Amino acid sequence: MTLAIELSNISKSFPGVKANDKINLKIQEGTIHAIVGENGAGKSTLMKILYGMLKQDLGSIKIFDKEVNFASPKDAISKGIGMVHQHFMLADNLSVLESIILGMDRASLKVLNKSKYSDEINQITEKFSMPLNVNSMIDELGVGEKQRVEIIKVLFRGAKILILDEPTAVLVPQEVKELFNNLKNLKDSGVTIIFISHKLDEVLDIADEISVMRGGKHIDTVSSNSVSKIELAEMMIGQNLPSPPKREKQSKEKIILSINNLSAEEVNGKKAFSSINFSIKEGEVVGIAGVEGNGQRELAESILGIHKIESGEIILGQENINDLNTRDRRESGISFIPEDRQSQGLLMDVSLSENVILGKQSSSKYKSRYSNIKFGEADKNSNTVIENFDVRTPGNETLALALSGGNQQKFVVGREIENKPQLLIASQPTRGIDIGAQSLIWNKLRLARDHGLGVLLISADLDELIGLSDRLYVIYEGNLVKELDPENATPEILGSYMTGIKS
Amino acid sequence: MISFIRKNYLIIFPIIVIVLIAQIEKYDQLTTSGTFGAAIRLAIPICLAGLGGMFSERTGIVNIGLEGMMIMGTWFGAWAAWLYGPWYGILAGIFGGALFGLIHAVGTVTFQVDHIVSGVAINILAAGVARFLNVVAYADQPTQSSTQSPRIDGEVGDFTMPYLSGGYDTPSLFGYLQDLNYPFISDFAGLLLGASSNLSYISLFALTLIPIAAWILWSTPFGLQMRSVGELPTGSESLGVNVYLMKYIGVIISGGFAGLAGAYLVLESSGIYREGQTAGRGFIGLASMIFGNYRPFGIFMGSGLFGFADALQLRSDDAVHGLLVLISVILLILAIKQLIEKKYINASASIVMSIGFLIWFLNSETVPSEFVYFTPHLTTLIVLSSASQKLRMPQKVGQPYRKGELN
Repeated sequence: MTLAIELSNISKSFPGVKANDKINLKIQEGTIHAIVGENGAGKSTLMKILYGMLKQDLGSIKIFDKEVNFASPKDAISKGIGMVHQHFMLADNLSVLESIILGMDRASLKVLNKSKYSDEINQITEKFSMPLNVNSMIDELGVGEKQRVEIIKVLFRGAKILILDEPTAVLVPQEVKELFNNLKNLKDSGVTIIFISHKLDEVLDIADEISVMRGGKHIDTVSSNSVSKIELAEMMIGQNLPSPPKREKQSKEKIILSINNLSAEEVNGKKAFSSINFSIKEGEVVGIAGVEGNGQRELAESILGIHKIESGEIILGQENINDLNTRDRRESGISFIPEDRQSQGLLMDVSLSENVILGKQSSSKYKSRYSNIKFGEADKNSNTVIENFDVRTPGNETLALALSGGNQQKFVVGREIENKPQLLIASQPTRGIDIGAQSLIWNKLRLARDHGLGVLLISADLDELIGLSDRLYVIYEGNLVKELDPENATPEILGSYMTGIKS
Repeated sequence: MISFIRKNYLIIFPIIVIVLIAQIEKYDQLTTSGTFGAAIRLAIPICLAGLGGMFSERTGIVNIGLEGMMIMGTWFGAWAAWLYGPWYGILAGIFGGALFGLIHAVGTVTFQVDHIVSGVAINILAAGVARFLNVVAYADQPTQSSTQSPRIDGEVGDFTMPYLSGGYDTPSLFGYLQDLNYPFISDFAGLLLGASSNLSYISLFALTLIPIAAWILWSTPFGLQMRSVGELPTGSESLGVNVYLMKYIGVIISGGFAGLAGAYLVLESSGIYREGQTAGRGFIGLASMIFGNYRPFGIFMGSGLFGFADALQLRSDDAVHGLLVLISVILLILAIKQLIEKKYINASASIVMSIGFLIWFLNSETVPSEFVYFTPHLTTLIVLSSASQKLRMPQKVGQPYRKGELN
């Protein structure tokens, strides 16, 4: 076997951070090699260097035993390296064909030979059995198909080494399965695949070898047969895993939220959910499990007053809040951790000390008698959040966009909990973040629950649901189809209700 | 057939209504070849400006400086035409616009100035520069003025389609059909006759640019790269597209088109450079670009609509009165569409307005003359607001792009 990639002593510093510190890595041809590590461990930097998007300060790269020097991704592409980014680099307004052949020709005024190109693409899609209609527009495609376009785009350029950056983060389980089949096909025809992920189960499933990175350093490379998930996780965070905290049954009886016969308003002839009944007691976490798109998002939004309801009652404490608008609902004690921190949770171009105001901007906490914003208060509270939730940032004047995903999420969660709500709606509170941030958020949620907070937890992470919830509901096609005790629930049982196999 | 109607109902029904109204003698100016001929001449500068806007926005740069680039086109066009003749005027107009396009590109692409700020600056700068140049260039002329050029002589000649429209002393088929006065047939013959007779070569040149623009953008690697830059600069860069270069070229072409539009105004309509003669056509061009959904033929339709209303306003007050029915019908169609989409509040507003225009039409003989000058703008406005069905602007238009930054 030959080496596809050999990295020696790769180092890269950014002002104040050593993103990569003397990385040595060997990757065999025709294997799937996973690189795991927490956010900020330096995986992305390393891949950007390998793909020519960044230039290393020190060290050398050999591709197929030849030393290379990349000035831009174009050089990397010409040496047979292709990268599929986590956020797809596809334009909705172009066709599949156009997206794939973009940049193949010099920018000239001759006629594009579309039929030749589409024949070539069809050959590739058949060879690797990844069906694709080259004439559809990108915005007509689902997420899995878009990813397929990205993969074919790099294969079409003759890539022999494929870098996949968190490819499963955006996929549903069936799509993950399909992707893994495709990757195995690719591997069998000699393509080398570098697979970057947080999800250790998947890594163990698909990879031949696994390299662990932490704090910019390469910790170790192990064979996937000889390592357990727990060992990997411990290598990643560099210490023993926090032991799963035990759940103490709460005996409080005061009901914080009750939802009676709630139905969503019809949108495009479809109700997102109907006849929902449940309640949340003080100090209780109620989990909602469901495949995305089964109405859980709309349910959360309707409790907040964003999504319109057709009938039913939402009662917070003793009060019916049906007629309150979102602002009043938040002021009467509902906090919300949105599923997308970047578009719903934070203003990215704004400092943390201002971001802490969001959601409470109209309450007396931040609004003075003369309607000025109390910036002093914001300054103080943002520091509290940063301290209590271990948000790693140079200070509270840093812009939100400068933080890594995990730290952004810790800040959002911290802000919502520090607002001392009665009820917290947590939508995917730990999606796409590293284990360290995840366990911190879990602990904080538990702590808040122990102090009497009621939590509605909506998550796609079944382990999270089972571990955190006091009661669990499964939502399927807009109905709560099953109530489960998390003591007896397993991901398999949940999965069968979530997909409608059992009901 | 039904799906064709469903797709294009916003064009088909208004045309039918226009033709029906035109059967009434008072309103027959609505569909004569003279009206259509004038409409095309009035539409071309707007269409050119719109195409210019398209080239810029397709590469992601908002070009609100079109008006200023057009002003440069008028001045340079007039100056070169006065010195050397009309075709040089065209070239110089394109050059003048492109030069200001370059300034806009340097500002927005290299120095990352906000596109609107840079565009407004271009508009202000162009007005000042034109005045300055005018004083300098014509200093020793007897008619020296800071706001006007001397009269420009020289003709480019014009073209009439042989056999169909009677060019080169051949019989005119469309003319014959128009004189028959059959509904629809004569009206369409009028349209075709207007569009194919007495067209100057400059107009012909401008009209051929429409399919050429479409061909460049959708059939060549260059065009694909250009469009991709406005949609997804980072991704394009990683595929080897030179994003900065594409943006530069896009904005410079944009300026060139706007400059051509300005030169066209000078050479085709007035024969003289006059301060303020662009009269906001750059902005109307931008509007027609949005109406045309950033596509060349859509832009042509949008500018044609404005040209048509403008031509009516020039030719006949009576015909403008007929436009009221048209507006009423468009609003009615819109209301039906909104009803189907269950937007009841919008629909009732449309119905009320529609009835209002109808009542106005039935209870008056003419439109007040103050209103006549305003009809092109009003018609365009109403159509624009009703046509926002499926607008799709380039994804990253107006957003700064720095090389090497991931976002």
